[in-house]
Amino acid sequence: MMERRWNLLTGEWVMVSAFTQARPTNPTNFCPLCPGGDEFEGDYDLVSFDNRYPSMKLDAPEVESEGIYQKARSNGKCEVVVYTIDHESAMSMMPIHQIEKLIRMWADRYLDLAQNRFIKYVFIFENRGKEVGATLPHPHGQLYAFPFIPKRIEAKLQALAKYYDENGRCAVCDIVDSEVKFEKRIIYENESFIALVPFYARWPYEVHIYPKRHVSTIVELTNIERYHLSKALKVVTMKYDLLFKQAFPYMMMLFQAPVNDISYSHAFHFHIEFNPVKRDKDKIKWMASVETGTWAFINPKIPEEAAKELRNVEVEV
Amino acid sequence: MYVSSLSEIRKIMGYRQCDGYEILLEVSKIPSGYKITGEVKGRVDDVELFSFPRPDKVLVNNWQSWGPARVITKEFKLDFPKELIQKFGFSASIMPEVYFNNLISDYFIASEEFVIGALKSQIGHVYFRLNDDNVSVHSRYFGKTFHEWTPIEPVVILNLAPDDGLFYYAELIAKENDIAFSSHNPIGWSSWYQYYLDYDYQKMVSDLDKSKELDLGYEVFQIDDAWEVDIGDWIPNEKFPSLKEMADKIASYGYKPGIWLAPFSISETSSVFKNHPDWLVKDEYGLPVVAYENWNKKIYALDTTHPEAIEWLRKLFITLKESGFDYFKIDFLFAGAIQGRRYAENTSPVEAYRNGLKVIREAVGDSFVLGCGAPLLPSVGFVDGMRIGADTAPYWDPNAPDIGYPNAYYALRNVITRAFMNNILWWNDPDCLMLRKEDTQINDAQRELYTLVSLFLDNMIIQSDNLSYEIDMKLWKLIKKYKTYGRRRFKIKGLIDGKYTITSCGVNGCDEVIIEELTIPQYMVSYDTPRVELKKIVEKRTDGRTFNYYEETHQ
Ligand SMILES: [Zn+2]
Ligand SMILES: [Zn+2]
Repeated sequence: MMERRWNLLTGEWVMVSAFTQARPTNPTNFCPLCPGGDEFEGDYDLVSFDNRYPSMKLDAPEVESEGIYQKARSNGKCEVVVYTIDHESAMSMMPIHQIEKLIRMWADRYLDLAQNRFIKYVFIFENRGKEVGATLPHPHGQLYAFPFIPKRIEAKLQALAKYYDENGRCAVCDIVDSEVKFEKRIIYENESFIALVPFYARWPYEVHIYPKRHVSTIVELTNIERYHLSKALKVVTMKYDLLFKQAFPYMMMLFQAPVNDISYSHAFHFHIEFNPVKRDKDKIKWMASVETGTWAFINPKIPEEAAKELRNVEVEV
Repeated sequence: MYVSSLSEIRKIMGYRQCDGYEILLEVSKIPSGYKITGEVKGRVDDVELFSFPRPDKVLVNNWQSWGPARVITKEFKLDFPKELIQKFGFSASIMPEVYFNNLISDYFIASEEFVIGALKSQIGHVYFRLNDDNVSVHSRYFGKTFHEWTPIEPVVILNLAPDDGLFYYAELIAKENDIAFSSHNPIGWSSWYQYYLDYDYQKMVSDLDKSKELDLGYEVFQIDDAWEVDIGDWIPNEKFPSLKEMADKIASYGYKPGIWLAPFSISETSSVFKNHPDWLVKDEYGLPVVAYENWNKKIYALDTTHPEAIEWLRKLFITLKESGFDYFKIDFLFAGAIQGRRYAENTSPVEAYRNGLKVIREAVGDSFVLGCGAPLLPSVGFVDGMRIGADTAPYWDPNAPDIGYPNAYYALRNVITRAFMNNILWWNDPDCLMLRKEDTQINDAQRELYTLVSLFLDNMIIQSDNLSYEIDMKLWKLIKKYKTYGRRRFKIKGLIDGKYTITSCGVNGCDEVIIEELTIPQYMVSYDTPRVELKKIVEKRTDGRTFNYYEETHQ
């Protein structure tokens, strides 16, 4: 069974899939992503493939609504994005060149999936660490290609479009300008990107990466900008690992303009969010009732202090 | 209703009683602008929604494929050659009686400050009349009677410059019409811009052979005008074998067989004209209306509301499809939307036109349909590709009249000014590339720029050359390289000032062309330098899953 159901109380789609439940928990002594594992016989460099336990499929079954309850096909895609053949690696340990390749693969996935006209949003992300539910240590992320625009993305689009309306400028472009002047929340900066703990951080060590130039997707980045982005990704993840001298668990999410829908590309500014779940070396910031139920976060860490700590973590790339 | 500033647009809301009809207008806020919706009841010819001050420089648009989309200032005067007015007929406008006496823009208008445009054309036609000091926004229903309250064609006002605003406008159109079209953007060959009517089966086979020798990698091979007995009599003439033999021959080379026809046009010499005068759109005296003149003949319009004409049309396309054709270039489509009397009374020209397209779409299923000479907005949702400019030609003449006549210069100008429609409403057809270096007056720079712009804007790429001539293979190599990169995202700066910067991004980075002067042309290209190049290998597993392997290629 695979379908989406409309929540009349919140006005959002919920994906229901019996396949995801079939997913095994923690494989113990073997890695399905290593050559010779479940998925690959031989070597590879980078690969993106259909999740064995998806909540959406391009050819998802037709469904019928029941009475007041609206259903729709889960016609999307869930892919596993494997960064490298090297099981022991991580974004923080990968050569910058490998991250550049990953960015190029992301760009291809975005354009490739956008060719399905019913796909409205391509969401690229990584869950790192068992604290955020990652079942495999092998460096990989995922992507969900949704047949609808998810609720929080819709909220971002509306907020950015509203700011543009009121100011005639892109909000993130203005944020970049003001953060560069303010300096105190920036943890890393290069020619094309800034990485910062945002003024509005919801998580204790939340970091966002913003391109300095207005682009709405990674596809629009030039090759040199993609190189600068790979450096920023490497630096941020290295800082995370060095902060508490441990493999730092996080959720990394790419926010790009929608596809095959209204993209507000003049107002929507591509960005990456890192939402880490640690508030200290051995303390987890759980997403509990308030956060989950209301989307209202309470951040126990003052963003400027988190920025200072992260800025002071010295890394060399 | 005059608004002195577009921010005052809410003032036009409310109920109005007009001559023979009632109208209720609503204005709602949307991001970066407003949306005007409303309902009408009664007999409606032309509704003036509102008017506003006229800016000096505006981008105005013609109603159909070949017509100009251009920036004009207040000095501009429509200079349409008088002797051509009758010949052009409805190809110039859905309402020639208004067009030749006023300055108008169809569907949308834009300035440095705004984009205003219709989101739909399913019953009526939205146009803008440029008066000396103001612009009035009209919705025309051609005397249709609405017995019930019926929604009018919605209009949006966007407070954005066209470089951003037109793309947003296209997305709003796509969403409003809930459109779908082929995700495949083809590459191929067409006979027209080399052979015109001087074409036969031997020539077809010769270019098929040549294309394999040169390994051009076509997907589509399309026969243009020249194969039929007459306009309206869509059976092969003595220069060609049967439809099936033609299609089979093309398919044997591994290409999708494509064919041209003008399905809503009926020539005065055709058997359809002689045998079925009742199938034609007529005037108030019951005489058939001349839609336009071409092929040295008067051309009449098929009444796409007449049950017999509809069945004839359906059978025609089913026959073509059953013969093996899978790509249809349907031309002179505006003929389906001329004003006149039809079998189904109280049908607007726009409704009749869409009825014709619906029949064709049903008949050909998921075959690729390329619209040409087509009213733009009413075609949304029915075509996979759309010509968006004048016919190209083996010459470049910036001094010729800008009236939709064949001319590579004006064709390319529209490729840029209507680029925002591409891959949102359909695939833009920039018209054929002529890559031959002989038998043409096109110079190297003109040929290169035409190719670059078409590629950078991710348009359809259809070549039209006698392949025995010397072909610019340097450009063809570029085409094939671009096509393997997959889809692109692009941006244009300078739509109002006419100095264009086109940035075109794909998986391999962002290339750019800066056009200083289109007339000559004078331009600069810069190619982004990839730092990594990946080759993608797609594997389909037996469990139905797809694996995309990316592997670095070192050069
Ligand atoms: Zn592994
Ligand atoms: Zn921005």
